[in-house]
Amino acid sequence: MTPNDSTRRSTSLAGLAVLTVLVLVVTVWMSFQSQPSRPTPPVDSVGVPSDLTGFRSDAWFLPDDELLGFVKIPAGPFLMGSDATVDRLAFENERWSDDQPQGLVDLPTFYIGRYEVTVAQFAAFVTATGFRVDAQTLQGPPDGPVTAVSWPDALAYCRWLDTTLKESPQTPARLREFLLEAHGRNPRVGLPTEAEWEKAARGTDGRIYPWGNDPNRNRANYAGLGRTPVGSFDCPECAFGLADMSGNAWEWTRSPYQPYPYDTLDDRAHLDADSLWVMRGGSYADSEQNVRAAIRGGGDPGVRRPFMGFRVVISGF
Amino acid sequence: MSRHSTLSASGRSLSPASHRVFLVPLALTLSLAAVSVAPRVQGHATLTRSFWAAVLVLLIWQVVLFLYCRRTSARRSFQVVLRPQHYLQAMVQGAVFVYWGWYWQPVFDMAWLLVAQLMFAYAFDLLLSWTRRNSYVLGFGPFPIIFSTNLFLWFRDDWFYLQFLMVAVGFMGKEYVRWHRDGKLTHIFNPSAFSLGLFSLVLIATNTTDLTWGEAIATTLVRAPSIYLFLFLVGLVVMYFFSITLVAGSAALVLFGLSALYSAVTGVPYFIDSEIPAAVFLGLHLLVTDPSTSPRTPPGKLVFGALYGLGVFGLYSFLGAVGAPTFYDKLLCVPLLNLSVQRIDQAVGFFRAPSAVNRHQLDRASGRTNLGCMALWVLCFSVMATMGRTDGKHTGDSLPFWEQACADGRRNACERLLSIESVYCDDNSGWACNELGGHYTVGTLVTPEPELAVAYFSRACELRFQAACVNLLEPGRFAKANPKTLDLRLLLRERKRNLMEMPEHELYGRACEHDWAFACNRAPSADRP
Repeated sequence: MTPNDSTRRSTSLAGLAVLTVLVLVVTVWMSFQSQPSRPTPPVDSVGVPSDLTGFRSDAWFLPDDELLGFVKIPAGPFLMGSDATVDRLAFENERWSDDQPQGLVDLPTFYIGRYEVTVAQFAAFVTATGFRVDAQTLQGPPDGPVTAVSWPDALAYCRWLDTTLKESPQTPARLREFLLEAHGRNPRVGLPTEAEWEKAARGTDGRIYPWGNDPNRNRANYAGLGRTPVGSFDCPECAFGLADMSGNAWEWTRSPYQPYPYDTLDDRAHLDADSLWVMRGGSYADSEQNVRAAIRGGGDPGVRRPFMGFRVVISGF
Repeated sequence: MSRHSTLSASGRSLSPASHRVFLVPLALTLSLAAVSVAPRVQGHATLTRSFWAAVLVLLIWQVVLFLYCRRTSARRSFQVVLRPQHYLQAMVQGAVFVYWGWYWQPVFDMAWLLVAQLMFAYAFDLLLSWTRRNSYVLGFGPFPIIFSTNLFLWFRDDWFYLQFLMVAVGFMGKEYVRWHRDGKLTHIFNPSAFSLGLFSLVLIATNTTDLTWGEAIATTLVRAPSIYLFLFLVGLVVMYFFSITLVAGSAALVLFGLSALYSAVTGVPYFIDSEIPAAVFLGLHLLVTDPSTSPRTPPGKLVFGALYGLGVFGLYSFLGAVGAPTFYDKLLCVPLLNLSVQRIDQAVGFFRAPSAVNRHQLDRASGRTNLGCMALWVLCFSVMATMGRTDGKHTGDSLPFWEQACADGRRNACERLLSIESVYCDDNSGWACNELGGHYTVGTLVTPEPELAVAYFSRACELRFQAACVNLLEPGRFAKANPKTLDLRLLLRERKRNLMEMPEHELYGRACEHDWAFACNRAPSADRP
């Protein structure tokens, strides 16, 4: 073997060694690159404080009362829809039928959130589950309504809250009692139907706004510039003591957008139709016409807008 | 007569002063740095950093080499040799890029990155050669290596530094992994196939295929109309000049044959929506046919091609069974075949280390055989094309076909159905996502996974597929609905571009042809004016 051969041989071995190391390093490196990181911001980065006045940080930032902010809406009938002779701002899609302007709808007892779901509450869900959210969803004050949530996002929160409230020892005894001991029924946390929403908003006396028949900018956040913390507007006259049923953020319901008369069985009709889901209540950006209790908007379930949020109910008793 | 023997390499030796010769790699490196300021590169931070890292490595390397040469008074030179197997191959591959890119924009978006890889490849190859010996053969050698690599795999911008590494590994494999063959010390592996094979293994092992465009590359070739015909025609050029008809032809015929046999036995197509996937058809023309790393004798070439066909056929099933992306099938077997080249030649009994005279006779015989084989290949392809086995509509394009095949319990049909629906769901078909959610709810095809079902329903619902939204409201129940018009624009594309511009009546006509019964009511009937 000549010295040249020997040198060539040693550089070959060195080259092979480098090649092997290179491939091994690439393998190790790539094993750490398996998936792009989830775009979910950590909860600290959305500025959720350890304590939030009026909300329980040990109970997913739900309101601090014995039912964690759920308010009972007793069973019974209410008038749904709008009578244009009484409510001059009513839209055509609020009319019950050709024959009658409004319809009587009888609902069983249900519980509805006093406030819209807040940023802090949604952040608790995101933190607990790693749920992927849009970058703007968790922006805003922690006690403001969460917005930029799609319809499936809202349902995902409801499913999580349902399981959590039923399973966690943090759930107040009274709330857990009626969630679990339902005598053969299966009460669930979910989105309200539009009938549930409307009854909770206007009560049983057919009022146009949650507080009465006249618009009042001291009672709700509408025709304004942005979201406000939930419950910012005192409304002693409001039906059932609920806050922000008018304005602040539009609220998703679990009802498909169908012409009236309202039918609880409409869910499974028109599966071939374009998907639109009813949203209610108007937002901070709307005028007095769009924050009436009977207003019906149709929302594309995939959109996430800074003026669209939701609140939850417990129904199925 | 073999064109390989008549198309000789032209070359001349250049030996400028030792230190001035280093201006060549420096110029290449600076050109690479210049490309890094192109908007395409500057638009992405990681991509820019990848370029600078490559530039830095090349600069350090040439400085060290330069200092070493100056200290030891060693001289470095290069010789310009233009080999037809390099520039003709590169022209053919370039034509494929242009034709494919015309119908799939990311290929043209990749142009600057391709140029950059070429510069990197030249500089890297040159420095690697000078590290080991005094001279470098400068020609079009890096072109087919880079083109052939990029016809099958490239990394996304966030991981583009791995593309430079892949190129480097290809050249290192060519330089360091060698054997004595035919009395000469030569590289064992086709350089691009070596790096593609290695990186494919790593990508599969680390489950990181989504760092690359691999899947998209494999499926978008067919967006170019009549791609099989195009590949066949450009393949003829390579076949004529480099006598590789036996390799490509036997691989293609084995694949066509096995595919047809499988289809006859099971009632479903083997490769889902083609007799040979277009990317495999490309591979058997331009990846496996490197004359330097394939057998020299006609029987050897025949066996080599047939083994490639068998390898792809087997790997397709194997990769599918282990849950790996199946498009790696055409890449993984090439290095193994390269390794077996000498054994193949020995096994067929023709290889006896021919002398120069024998070699010449062999080449002449090989050239005549090649022309005969080309005629046969043209005939075979014409028959297959006439039977609609290449371009055009394929049984496997129809989703109702797969639904029926699955319901009939045909082999692998349910797995294929799931896989096709996954592709369309990723493509934003609400219908497909809802169907997938249904499978994971009902559990007839797969083990029920309620969370996965909800994820699919959510996606479908956000795509405004009403049935999916309803399914979200009542976990455990599954509501189905027919595809909507937008879904049909995706589901009926027959591996090509989405049918966004197609008039609705034509769309429903095509849906009816695909056996979507509901669509026949909305399609224009044949007897209607």
